[in-house]
Amino acid sequence: MPVDLDNSSTVSGDASVSSTGNQNHPPKSVGKKKRNLPGMPDPDAEVIALSPKTLMATNRFVCEICNKGFQRDQNLQLHRRGHNLPWKLRQRSSKEVRKKVYVCPVAGCVHHDPLRALGDLTGIKKHFCRKHGEKKWKCEKCSKKYAVQSDWKAHSKICGTKEYRCDCGTLFSRRDSFITHRAFCDALAEESAKNHTQSKKLYPEAVTRKNHPEPDQKSPAAVDSPPPPPSPPSVALAPAPAISADTEPAKTVSSSVLPIRDTSESPENNPPEVIIEEAPRTIGFNVSSSALSNDHSRNNGAYAGMFASSTASPSLYASSTPSPSLFAPSSSIEPISLCLSTNPSLFGTTIQETPHFLTPLPPQPAMSATALLQKAAQMGSTGSGGSLLRGLGIVSTTSSSMELSNHDAASLAPPGLGLGLPCSSGGSGSGLKELMMGNSSVFGPKQTTLDFLGLGRAVGNGGNSGGGLSALLTSIGGGGGIDVFGSGEFSGKDIGRTS
Amino acid sequence: MTKTRILNPTRFPPPKSLRSGGGGGGGGHASFMEQLLLHCATAIDSNDAALSHQILWVLNNIAPQDGDSSTKRLTSAFVRALLSRAVTKSPTLFSTVFQPPATELHRFSVVELAGFVDLTPWHRFGYIAANAAILTAVEGYSTVHIVDLSLTHCMQIPTLIDAMASKLNKPPLLKLTVVSSSTFPPFINVSYEELGSKLVNFATTRNIEMEFSIIPSTHSDGFSSLLQQLRIYPFSFNEALVVNCHMMLRYIPDETLTPSSSSLSLRNIFLKQLRSLNPTIVTLIEEDADLTSEDLVSRLRSAFNYFWIPFDTTDTFVSEKRRWYEAEISWKIENVVAKEGAERVERTETKRRWIERMREAEFGGVRVKEEAVADLKAMLEEHGVGWGMKKDDDDESLVLTWKGHSVVFATVWVPV
Repeated sequence: MPVDLDNSSTVSGDASVSSTGNQNHPPKSVGKKKRNLPGMPDPDAEVIALSPKTLMATNRFVCEICNKGFQRDQNLQLHRRGHNLPWKLRQRSSKEVRKKVYVCPVAGCVHHDPLRALGDLTGIKKHFCRKHGEKKWKCEKCSKKYAVQSDWKAHSKICGTKEYRCDCGTLFSRRDSFITHRAFCDALAEESAKNHTQSKKLYPEAVTRKNHPEPDQKSPAAVDSPPPPPSPPSVALAPAPAISADTEPAKTVSSSVLPIRDTSESPENNPPEVIIEEAPRTIGFNVSSSALSNDHSRNNGAYAGMFASSTASPSLYASSTPSPSLFAPSSSIEPISLCLSTNPSLFGTTIQETPHFLTPLPPQPAMSATALLQKAAQMGSTGSGGSLLRGLGIVSTTSSSMELSNHDAASLAPPGLGLGLPCSSGGSGSGLKELMMGNSSVFGPKQTTLDFLGLGRAVGNGGNSGGGLSALLTSIGGGGGIDVFGSGEFSGKDIGRTS
Repeated sequence: MTKTRILNPTRFPPPKSLRSGGGGGGGGHASFMEQLLLHCATAIDSNDAALSHQILWVLNNIAPQDGDSSTKRLTSAFVRALLSRAVTKSPTLFSTVFQPPATELHRFSVVELAGFVDLTPWHRFGYIAANAAILTAVEGYSTVHIVDLSLTHCMQIPTLIDAMASKLNKPPLLKLTVVSSSTFPPFINVSYEELGSKLVNFATTRNIEMEFSIIPSTHSDGFSSLLQQLRIYPFSFNEALVVNCHMMLRYIPDETLTPSSSSLSLRNIFLKQLRSLNPTIVTLIEEDADLTSEDLVSRLRSAFNYFWIPFDTTDTFVSEKRRWYEAEISWKIENVVAKEGAERVERTETKRRWIERMREAEFGGVRVKEEAVADLKAMLEEHGVGWGMKKDDDDESLVLTWKGHSVVFATVWVPV
């Protein structure tokens, strides 16, 4: 039953027009069909543009016995063989070997362009029906309509078997998902635009009653939510500010406490003075590691001394621009001895005191921050944390050095003494230290994660003033800040290098 | 010397296992990560820049934003939140710490959002329970006025319209009222006017007459202008008033934001005024967590022990949607951890607390129909293993669970 579609725009009138398909195709496209771009036929193919009528005329060649229609004479001839009727196939001349491709007759359609022609007649016919034709095949179960019979057949097989398909092509396994989608999908708007009469009958009624800014589907869709009109839509009431007065105080409660800062703002550099003020305090925490306990341990003095000695070294390590060789495998061992020799009494003391500090850690979180950080380092070294220490220079010594450092923490850490030690004990704490420092040689390849803390740049520069963290602190506030970590983390090496 | 230094790892108190199944690799580290985060929170609030730097640093390396397990990504969200808090709190100490750019939240097209809400049963659970209750309650009314206080921009309404059209004998006139405050994710890229017109159009295809109204109102004053307008709203004859509260009441300031001079929190005022409107039915769907504590550490702990769920439920998804989803949860985490005062809008409370409030406001719980329970079960079955549901007979509530943990509760209320 051919549909008369002559009213739709046609390319070439009624007749078939053929033209050579030699249209400046880039040679590459030959034989290289891209999946997402249907079409792109052989450039040498003959481009056939059929009018909608011709395209849809399925029964041009009709069998006189059974009335079955064929679009091509060839097929009718083959069919006639079954009736034992005389038949005749056209001879193939060498001329006719040329491939034919077909374009869609609807101007503006992608397949109207010869470059996007489809390779066979059935293909273009189905395309034409689906996209531009009437959907005359209706599913009895779900009322879904199809333009192509085979689509309808395919759907009928699966209809009711938990599948919902919107006209836009999206599939759903659940009805409520489908309904939700359907309500908002443009496909529905298009469909109901077709059923104009029905929608217009009910719709204006609702609108007029409301005195509402017309929520027509053609209304300014793209306009981004303008503030709603002062007189609110449906009930047309004036907004009442009555209660809002009560809430004023609530708003102010918070903001006075916090310095409000636009979080997207890029961090600014602070005047150094501020940091210098903070520095002593921070050192204190560095030694005692945890805010949970402010009572500094006895051996604080020892550390203080150590820090004191190393605080003198900002210039040292500033000048000792870390060459990657610092972190070459051997170096992880070197600092140990250096560190020990620098301050031998330190470890002597701590070892004696070991038993004292195995007491349970403060109440709140079960493990001290130190212990947790130690464990974090371990996680890094054992790999589950992912490649933290991969590529470290301490390959062979990793485990032992980690254990050392862990032991330092376990045995030395009173609730409160912590990171200072493993860090400052040079190589023994290397795992954790480098973990935190984000030293360039170690983390060079991992820069992306580091960047998060903004040290990527410092790390990338490499030559700045040492590891990422020191760079960080340098930029925080010149001298004062450096002491904090500079002592903790660089003392071993710095001393090592200069001695 | 070396000998004495060999570590016996068992000497460390092993982290208490807070839950089973953290989901995939790194799951076992969850409580360890949590403890580090708690230490860090303490350090930040005592201006201990050094320690907080160190912890943030370590955590950031262990748990990158694009980490391969949900626990890592969850931790990363908290690290970013803590960092944000640190920078806000002590710009002088933390100024040089790079502030990660505020997570760009996806602006959903309305069709995208329609798909997004079904990523997990998180929202659909409440839709189904509430719609079933509403449908039962409005039977026989000729006009149904639904006030939709929902976080998900009317996504619940199409199925309600559909059900009204097919299940009610004589579909009523449907009036839908929404508030126009969209300050929380998910964000959409269309106006409510447009959203409303689509709904009206959809209702038309279902032969339901519908009106759509937008009332400018904000959570920060307890939706006072909405209540005000509902009070002087001209009721039609035989009209049912339905108030659908879907994950929205948590934004109304609670006691911790209430000036000590006033005796009632805005949250309670809202419920009392709602009660005075004598609604036909009120649905209350909320997440079951306590994020209102004024103490950062306990708030953070409670947030960590809730927000692992959304990360875990989508862990197996590999798609853009998961990133959108995680970005949204991260937004919430940052709000809970980094913000204070009125800026801290994510003020989820436990089911127990909400039920107390509802009862105080003289509402009584109603059981959700068995039919809806069956629908819910069927829906959950289509999602991944791990989702479940429990019925609490004490308070007539339904609770969505993930691996046995409460996620979202659905309750239905009528004036008593």
